Amino acid sequence: MKKYTLKRVLTSFFTLLVILLVLFILMQLMPGSPFNDEKLNDDQRAALYVKYGLDQPVVVQFANYAKNMLKGDLGVSYNISKNTPISQMIQTRLPISIGIGGLAVTIGAIVGLLLGLLAALKHNTIWDSLATIISVIGVSVPSYVFALGLSYSLGFRLQWFPMLYKANNAGMSSVLPSIALSMFTMASIARFTRSEMLEVLGSDYMLLAESKGISGSALIFRHALRNALIPIITVLAPLIVDLMTGSLVVEKIFAIPGVGSLLVNAIQSNDYNVVIALSFIYSAMYIVIMLVVDILYGVIDPRIRLAKKGD
Amino acid sequence: MKKSKAVISLLTASAMTVGLMSTGTVAFAAEESTSDLNVMLETPVQSLDPQQATDGTSFEVIADYTDGLMQMDSDGQAVPAIAESYDLSDDGLTYTFHLRDDAQWSNGDPVTASDFVFGWQRAVDPDVASEYAYMLSDIGQVENAAEIIAGEKDKSELGVTAVDDKTLEVKLNVPVSYFLSLMYFPTFYPVNEAFFESCADTFGTSPETTLSNGAFVLDTYEPAATEIHLTKNADYYDADNISLPGLNYQVIQDSQQALMSYQTGDLDLTLVNGEQVDQVEDDPEFMTIGAGYLWYVSPNISAVPELANLNIRLAMTMAIDRESITTDVLKDGSLPTYTAVPMQFAAGPDGSDFSEDQEKFSDVCTYDAEKAADYWAKGLEELGETEVELDMIVDADDAPQKVAQVLKEQWETALPGLTVNLTVEPKKQRVEDMQNGTYEVALTRWGPDYADPMTYLGMWITDNSNNYGLWSSEEYDSIIAECTTGDLCTDAEGRWARMYDAEKLVMDDAVIFPLYTQANAEMMSSSVTGVDFHPCALNRVYKNAVKSE
Amino acid sequence: MEKSTAAENVQAAYVPVESDFRLKNNAEEIGIDSNFAAQSFWKDVLLRFVRKTSAIVGLILIILITIMAAIGPGMNGYTYSGQNLNEKNCAPRVKALEKFGIFDGNENFNTSKGTKTINNYEEKGLTDVYYWFGSDNLGRDIWTRTWSGARVSLIIAIAAAIIDMLIGMSYGLISGYFGGRVDMVMQRILEVANGIPRLVIVTLMLLVFKPGILTIVIALMLTEWIGMSRIARAEMLKLKEQEFVLASRTLGAGSFFIIFKEVLPNIIGPIITQVMFSIPTAIFTEAFLSFVGLGIPVPQCSLGSLISDGFNFFTTHPYQIIPPIIVMALLMLSFNLVADGLREALDPKLKEM
Repeated sequence: MKKYTLKRVLTSFFTLLVILLVLFILMQLMPGSPFNDEKLNDDQRAALYVKYGLDQPVVVQFANYAKNMLKGDLGVSYNISKNTPISQMIQTRLPISIGIGGLAVTIGAIVGLLLGLLAALKHNTIWDSLATIISVIGVSVPSYVFALGLSYSLGFRLQWFPMLYKANNAGMSSVLPSIALSMFTMASIARFTRSEMLEVLGSDYMLLAESKGISGSALIFRHALRNALIPIITVLAPLIVDLMTGSLVVEKIFAIPGVGSLLVNAIQSNDYNVVIALSFIYSAMYIVIMLVVDILYGVIDPRIRLAKKGD
Repeated sequence: MKKSKAVISLLTASAMTVGLMSTGTVAFAAEESTSDLNVMLETPVQSLDPQQATDGTSFEVIADYTDGLMQMDSDGQAVPAIAESYDLSDDGLTYTFHLRDDAQWSNGDPVTASDFVFGWQRAVDPDVASEYAYMLSDIGQVENAAEIIAGEKDKSELGVTAVDDKTLEVKLNVPVSYFLSLMYFPTFYPVNEAFFESCADTFGTSPETTLSNGAFVLDTYEPAATEIHLTKNADYYDADNISLPGLNYQVIQDSQQALMSYQTGDLDLTLVNGEQVDQVEDDPEFMTIGAGYLWYVSPNISAVPELANLNIRLAMTMAIDRESITTDVLKDGSLPTYTAVPMQFAAGPDGSDFSEDQEKFSDVCTYDAEKAADYWAKGLEELGETEVELDMIVDADDAPQKVAQVLKEQWETALPGLTVNLTVEPKKQRVEDMQNGTYEVALTRWGPDYADPMTYLGMWITDNSNNYGLWSSEEYDSIIAECTTGDLCTDAEGRWARMYDAEKLVMDDAVIFPLYTQANAEMMSSSVTGVDFHPCALNRVYKNAVKSE
Repeated sequence: MEKSTAAENVQAAYVPVESDFRLKNNAEEIGIDSNFAAQSFWKDVLLRFVRKTSAIVGLILIILITIMAAIGPGMNGYTYSGQNLNEKNCAPRVKALEKFGIFDGNENFNTSKGTKTINNYEEKGLTDVYYWFGSDNLGRDIWTRTWSGARVSLIIAIAAAIIDMLIGMSYGLISGYFGGRVDMVMQRILEVANGIPRLVIVTLMLLVFKPGILTIVIALMLTEWIGMSRIARAEMLKLKEQEFVLASRTLGAGSFFIIFKEVLPNIIGPIITQVMFSIPTAIFTEAFLSFVGLGIPVPQCSLGSLISDGFNFFTTHPYQIIPPIIVMALLMLSFNLVADGLREALDPKLKEM
């Protein structure tokens, strides 16, 4: 297992390098220029390209960027916040996105798991239908409608929570965005838990466990849920990354200074460095979580032997 | 020349009197506001570096804590700020500004003439590549500015010198009638060199790396922040007349959230979406504020053979029901516009609006579906075609998309055989397409940078980078040259009349199809008074604002 | 209760009696000779599917919405892009129902000075005009737009989901089955593809190519197959070391046969569940693109773009967002119900509890 883990860590590192290169190439394909403001003349534009090294071949740009990155320098923003070091922008914004995303994942996973379990255990009853309907609403109504609905009802009408994100009241003002964000996760997890649990509950080893006389909760949590967890984790992992890296929609509605809206603005304004830096962080988070998941598979299900050779 | 002197002295006189009023009297000093003014911003600040900033939001925040030589009074006229007074040489080419003694930066340094020299040199420095560098060269006509921007001269040769700590001398290539009104534009703001150097590359990215010499001091800010806070500057030379204890900006991109926040009292001033106007229009706190922007359709005259035909262009501009677009679709108080220069931003020598008369081009630009159909038929005949298909590029924002859909419908209904396909793109992409000339029709806008019609008319001279349709007229070019660098630049009235002629050329040739002058629908709490709104340069100024409980 | 007593008694060396055991109540299934059942597998599936009421309800709903998507836009005289600015923002009004006080064109309007009831039909003198779902801010018929939107959304979602399934499933199965170096390389490629935020790829696609249904389908396809392949791979990893695969391999079956004939039928349940998730994901991604202004180009519409348009009227004219949301939710509900029904029908192992 140790050797496998080491190998995976190393390959992940190379994967990240490849991603960085691909991102660079994608930026080259992107139509438009960061400096096409209507009031700049051609000379100025050329000067700006030289200033930021964009006139050099991609390979040179890539080498420079990778070199600077190792020093912790992610470059500066061209448009969104002119000449601001991106590391400075990310430092203040990423923790906010991670905080809200983390809360959303926690809410979504716990509620989803419970709903799914309820539906599976009370299969074909009113509880099952109820849980299904809740989870279907979660996947069928866009999060911005939820977000505004929550803000209107709990924020504006009842005034339980602030409608907008406030840095000096981060706890309370994270509640509504987190709930709005968690709906999709909750619904996905609920549905997957349900279908996996049904499958596991119908399997022979569950019959065996049951006939061995293992009782209610132990049966469900130790035997059934554990087996159902693999696909659930597979679904949850990428959702975690998506949520942690912010959501444009929810950030826009709740005025959250997170990284999701930053990425969208950066793409639309050709702010290359910001796109690359944020995408790269996304990739790094994604790869780390995938690594953890792969290793978790082995822990949860001993039948999976990833490191096996000569298969 | 006689006339010019009169104009100059008039300007001087008015500037001096207003200056006296704002500094001298205490009766003007308002009652004390007890709490911060909460203002909604639609977009985050892009830059707090006065020479790098280009957007209205950034300008507004920069101007909250920085004063230039001049400031805007409530009517948009230039009145003294850091410059206590100024002299203008008889040839109109040299301005000498006398700086006030009590102006100081928030780190205790006095504001000196060399701070301006440093700021202005930055603005034209090719290494800084300021987007608004042309404000010094083409617009301000500061000596050597154009050459420095082009890299032909060193920035130290810019025609601005610090005679002593409190005297700044500016040399111009030609007399510029509106030069003083440029002085409140943030590109011309001073920068404290020692402080700038101490911030290295981080100037203007946090409260610690900004320096105030204005009414407020920035104390909460992060790059692209959603919350910005400024506190009253106790050391401001005019602090007695500043009533607000602080300013609180909140960036809200969703208009419904903004209105709800306003209704709960979290905001005192907010923008209202056109869709929400029905909801609030009976409210006395509702108002519409001219935003200066001209929205227009730019046909690519040089690249699309159908659009090279004048009759086709006239048909298209006449088939547009502008009234319906503003009242039924936008609903935010935008004004239908039938002139190439929009309304309500440029006042002439007699104080009247350059574009007040909207019917002056009614033979070529009005809503007349029948006439449009006639022109259309004639145009098609000349082209020998029966069907025309055009692609229109549109920004991916809410209002332009709505307007574009209505335009498509109006054109297709009025002009048989015309099909318009809409291509929705992010703004950067749309601008890129226009710059490359790879478009057919574009829905675009232009905001005035300074209060003179030239900010628009300068666009259509041959080879101007913003003359996207590549229209070209020698007559037009010569008129514009006459008005900017030629004989007329000292003759305000003659210049004004010639600019009408230039505008007529543009309109007669249907170089653009003007649509409307944008206005913003806003809600302002009844407890707030004294906020100054302007269509150009600084959109909102809070120096006179009072918030009573 | 019975179970717990049984468990306690095991420790006390209790001799079980008859009442400790429960019959599994599966006499019918035992009674069927599985050798014969094999030939009528799909008949069996159909039978089980039909027996599930919720699945049938879902199927009927999908068919209904599809039919409406096909004929709905032509049911009245309006077109999806035809505007009548004089008749904008009219509340729903239906001829037969207006006498009952519903769908009569009245709407309660929240102004900052309190609520008022307005009727745009009466105000504008439109006595003989009926917008069944109301009209939008440009005076377009929401009924027509909702169904043409449903049409576009269905096309995008189903096309994207099917392509995802084919690509993702094959990729995941192959990667999982071969394992080792093949898996390593394929997973690294996948990691690179997935490591780049979807948004970057989708936006880039839409910027480079002309926006339209096809571009959106391709953009969705490029990003959505990854989830499917991950499910397929996880299932493959779970199954490939089971006895039946070993048995098949021992009997000389080739890799291709094992992957697609032996393993695939066993994992069809999770795959279908995932397809049913790709459909809302596809519709959502499209809706998100509309939200950032890169969706289906105006004046065309999809359910997503209608919702993001109607979103601006959420607090003023809520009736404009309700039809597309209801159609979308019904569509999702039905796809889910059908998926569940199919899944249980396809998987005889799944015992009813």
